[in-house]
Amino acid sequence: MTEGIPARPDTGSLTRPDPAGLADVLERVLDKGIVIAGDIRVNLLDIELLTIKIRLLVASVDKAREMGIDWWEHDPELSSKHGELMQENRELRSRIEALEAGRSEQRS
Amino acid sequence: MTAQATYLYAVIRPLPRGALDDLTGISGARVRTVERDGIGCVVSTVSLTEFGERELAANLNELTWLERVAREHDAVVRAAAQLTTTAPLRMATVCRDDAAALAKLAELGDRTRAVLQRLDGRIEWGVKAFAVTRPAPVPAAAGAVSGADYLRRRKQESTERQQADAAAAEQAAAVYAALADESVAGCRHRAQDRQLTGVEEPMLLNAAFLVEHSSAQRFANAVDELAARYPALRLERTGPWPPYSFASLDPS
Repeated sequence: MTEGIPARPDTGSLTRPDPAGLADVLERVLDKGIVIAGDIRVNLLDIELLTIKIRLLVASVDKAREMGIDWWEHDPELSSKHGELMQENRELRSRIEALEAGRSEQRS
Repeated sequence: MTAQATYLYAVIRPLPRGALDDLTGISGARVRTVERDGIGCVVSTVSLTEFGERELAANLNELTWLERVAREHDAVVRAAAQLTTTAPLRMATVCRDDAAALAKLAELGDRTRAVLQRLDGRIEWGVKAFAVTRPAPVPAAAGAVSGADYLRRRKQESTERQQADAAAAEQAAAVYAALADESVAGCRHRAQDRQLTGVEEPMLLNAAFLVEHSSAQRFANAVDELAARYPALRLERTGPWPPYSFASLDPS
């Protein structure tokens, strides 16, 4: 063991994160730290946009819901509904294709 | 078998083999360390069904996923920082495998060494300053107030409010400067929105400081003294944090 961090009961401990500090955690783990390009590329612009949105979000999703804040549930970028919408879109497209195919068959 | 990759948490001064064996990382994976040329890296194996390029982009936008992984990332980084000099990597740094991770580290070479040197024996503290809400101005005695008097008073109140805001901002800057003097380095994060803090008072300062372990108490005292000196501000100290805000390959 090198450089141990001495126990300092009077000044808090590294192992006990403040559970309320989601905003503080996110602003550090997403915005700070060494940036190296891994093999899985994450679009940095997406992350920056995301953090801006998170900055507007209350400390936790549950707390936000309690306060009646649920905009992300209607925000396609931040919501799993995005996937559902895409799926619905695909299904609608294939139905249109099927209908169009049917019509051209009737015509011929 | 699903395709896997190596998730990187932090660059560290190497630990004895097995030092992090009890630690659980993202999605319950066992945490490992890899090492080359005296530079270590804390890693765990992740599934590409969760961390593949497309999956990751989608997951990052999923707030519950993001919160879980951010906390898991932070927990591992904290545990490492308990044991050795730790330079956190930004969340969601993923390499093909351990060999690819080591190759990336080797590419950085002396730059990582310089970061670790800067962080040796130091830790991060957060300090926020909020403007203390002032009591609403006492309403004027009812009765004989002319329209002109009323407007004059309203204007005066607004001017006083602006002056108080400007003074509080100046004091927050003074707090930052004073604490920067008490520490190895300082950095100002963007002030968090009221909705985010859940606090009515506006945040005027959201700062992080790199502090010697041995100076932790002195730094805490300095914060207390500043809180006493500036009653218009409410100071909040968070930490200690792993040195997230100072783990940069390009020190300013």
